[in-house]
Amino acid sequence: MVSIRVRGVDKFYRARQGAVQALAGVELSVDSGEFVSLVGPSGCGKSTLLYIIGGFIAADCGSIEINGREVRGPGLDRGVVFQEYALFPWLTIQQNVAYGLEARGLSREERRATAARFVDMVGLQGFENHYPRELSGGMKQRVALARTLAYDPAILLLDEPFGALDAQTRESMQDEMLRIWLSTRKTVLMITHDVTEAVYLSQRVLVMSGRPGHIVEEFRINIDRSVTREVTMLSDDFNRVRNDIWLSVRRQLAPGAV
Amino acid sequence: MNTSFAANLPLLPAWVNGRARRLIRALPIAMLLVLWEVLVVSGLIDRTFLPPAHAVILAFWDMLVHGELLAHLWATVFTAFVGLGVAVVLGVFLGALMATNRWVNGLVGPLVATTYSLPKTSLVPLFILWFGIGDVTNGLTVVLGCLLPILVSTHHGVSSVPAVLVWSARAMGTPQYAMLRRVLLPAATASILSGVRIALGYCFVLVISAEMIATKLGIGKLIFLYGENGAYAYMLGGILAVVVIAFVADRSLVMITRRLLYWHDSMELRGAHA
Amino acid sequence: MPSRAMTELMGVAQRCLLFVAPLLLLLAAWQVTTSMGYVRPLFLPPPGSVAEQFLALLQAGEILEQLAISLYRAFAGLAIATAVGVATGLMMARISWVNWICDPLISFVYPAPKIVFIPLFILYFGMDHLSKILLVALTCVFPMIIATHQGASTVSRTLVWSAESMGTSERRLLSRVILPASMPAILTGVRITMPAALITAFTCEMVAGGGGLGAALVFAQRFFETPTVFVYILVMLMTGLVLDLALLRLRNVLLPWHEQDKEL
Repeated sequence: MVSIRVRGVDKFYRARQGAVQALAGVELSVDSGEFVSLVGPSGCGKSTLLYIIGGFIAADCGSIEINGREVRGPGLDRGVVFQEYALFPWLTIQQNVAYGLEARGLSREERRATAARFVDMVGLQGFENHYPRELSGGMKQRVALARTLAYDPAILLLDEPFGALDAQTRESMQDEMLRIWLSTRKTVLMITHDVTEAVYLSQRVLVMSGRPGHIVEEFRINIDRSVTREVTMLSDDFNRVRNDIWLSVRRQLAPGAV
Repeated sequence: MNTSFAANLPLLPAWVNGRARRLIRALPIAMLLVLWEVLVVSGLIDRTFLPPAHAVILAFWDMLVHGELLAHLWATVFTAFVGLGVAVVLGVFLGALMATNRWVNGLVGPLVATTYSLPKTSLVPLFILWFGIGDVTNGLTVVLGCLLPILVSTHHGVSSVPAVLVWSARAMGTPQYAMLRRVLLPAATASILSGVRIALGYCFVLVISAEMIATKLGIGKLIFLYGENGAYAYMLGGILAVVVIAFVADRSLVMITRRLLYWHDSMELRGAHA
Repeated sequence: MPSRAMTELMGVAQRCLLFVAPLLLLLAAWQVTTSMGYVRPLFLPPPGSVAEQFLALLQAGEILEQLAISLYRAFAGLAIATAVGVATGLMMARISWVNWICDPLISFVYPAPKIVFIPLFILYFGMDHLSKILLVALTCVFPMIIATHQGASTVSRTLVWSAESMGTSERRLLSRVILPASMPAILTGVRITMPAALITAFTCEMVAGGGGLGAALVFAQRFFETPTVFVYILVMLMTGLVLDLALLRLRNVLLPWHEQDKEL
């Protein structure tokens, strides 16, 4: 069953020298329960596309459907995790995670219990009453993930979620993400510029062209997710498809822009 | 859906060019003037308390042609700008010295920190005791009041120049004595100018306050005189003159700043919101 | 060998001493000048007689009474300015036509020295508290509007989007996200505006009389009571210092979640 369907989306930005086209006829669909990543050269408009699917900005042309219904704005069916965490700095970790539960109509006690469960799930028990500024980048991103998972949206939209983290933290967050996805089987659309990350996590990787962006190539990833990171990343299958995608992204760069 | 978060002007069609845009931007001021005129002429506001807008503008014109306004205004603006000028020279000199010399910093720093929050107008009575009523008192008040913000912003600007900038210049052979002129002061320009902008606001407040406390000549005095004699249209005309001059001075400084800092990436000194 | 706490304590003491030294030097110079008889006491009274006068005025209740009047005017004006300024700033950041109306008016009047309006305010609101409170409010409302507008219009869009995607409506956004996110900017606004409130209150009193520290200061000057002039100037100085420190503390208590920024 198709969960996200994007048809013929164009997007223009007003700039000083006139309009700049960010997206040109983007077509994509994500099945329910599928993990799809979108990679492409920087400035190709992939984040813009995610914001349009999130309902934060409007497309100039084309349509976005979520489970067959036209997108008119943000909704509880889509949870978003941003690269810069976007935690509310004036709320404690507990309160941040409980925020989205209010609109779900849960009672105060239920909110507390659910928030505690998700804080536990991302391994941050003991930090419930801390403020975001007291946490490291990786911990903040765990909170952001917990906050989104807590109100149980069917779809996760991830905007370069691990882009601001250092290499080691990023790897452990990827493992965490994989574990969560395997146990919840949510529909995930992830934007990233890290090809390795895309291959490691996704079932399908879409490559976007340089500006104006559209989908140029699609790769299916068939790797065994039950083995350890070391086994996966050293396998020939993994590296072959990773290299293919990497070359595909390279081809999208303008000749002089390398 | 809320796309652009920072509030913008209402969307205007693309053919509305720069000048027309500026006129549309200034429209609310004209609307306020019309509202004022209508409220007073229709009798909703008592004419004896608030003269209609046209009477104020006529009074303003009358004062301008008869030279009365100009003499007073000139005395005020002259004192303000000379005081500000002296304060800029002294402030940049002392601020740069503090930032580069430990001893000067140790000596002047505590004095600046303790006197910073003193309302400088409180010195007017003291200066009257020392120097009598007049230009010296008013001028000194302006100098002292404007000195501190410029000094502090210069000190802050010079001492927060990144060390790598100084090291690069050294590596490329800039001698120590030229460092201030070649590297430190240029790098601190933005900070210094923001201090000057604060001081520009202060210099008018200080000179007019001093004039209102005691003086022989000046726009502050003139406004008070008209108020006491019940010539309210003329009093408002004088107030209008001060508002316009302060606005023009601030705008000019912003324009100069933009010229000087075309290379600076925080060119956020646009409008009154800098 | 001294313990670590001891060394730390000595470091603090040393810094205090270094800070106070120039002030003491100034005091010594003052004392020497006056006791050598270079200047007449009418111009510069010796520190001793200023201290004496301070104690006398304090005991008579004079200082506290005038201070209370000035502080009342300053804080009442600041409170009005904060309420009006925060409301206006938030609306300007969220509603484009409010911004269109207010922006040019603010740009035009903001640079003006508001003290020129005092004759007008006296005419409308009388010689007593009200004209002074409102002039303080007029002075302070502009920086408060600008601080709030700045804070509210730079709230990160991802923060707003997060709230929206978690079901926060446009109306609730103001109280749940925009206002709390603007709080540091607003409190900074109050902090940088408070000296202006004090200065305006003092200056109004000096210009227009009607009680308060400013009026008392000008009164003392008219009667050539130089020690009293010095006492009131010093009281104004201390008031500014104490309030600034207090507000800094208050901010840390009110906003435990905020990243502390470095103070000058």
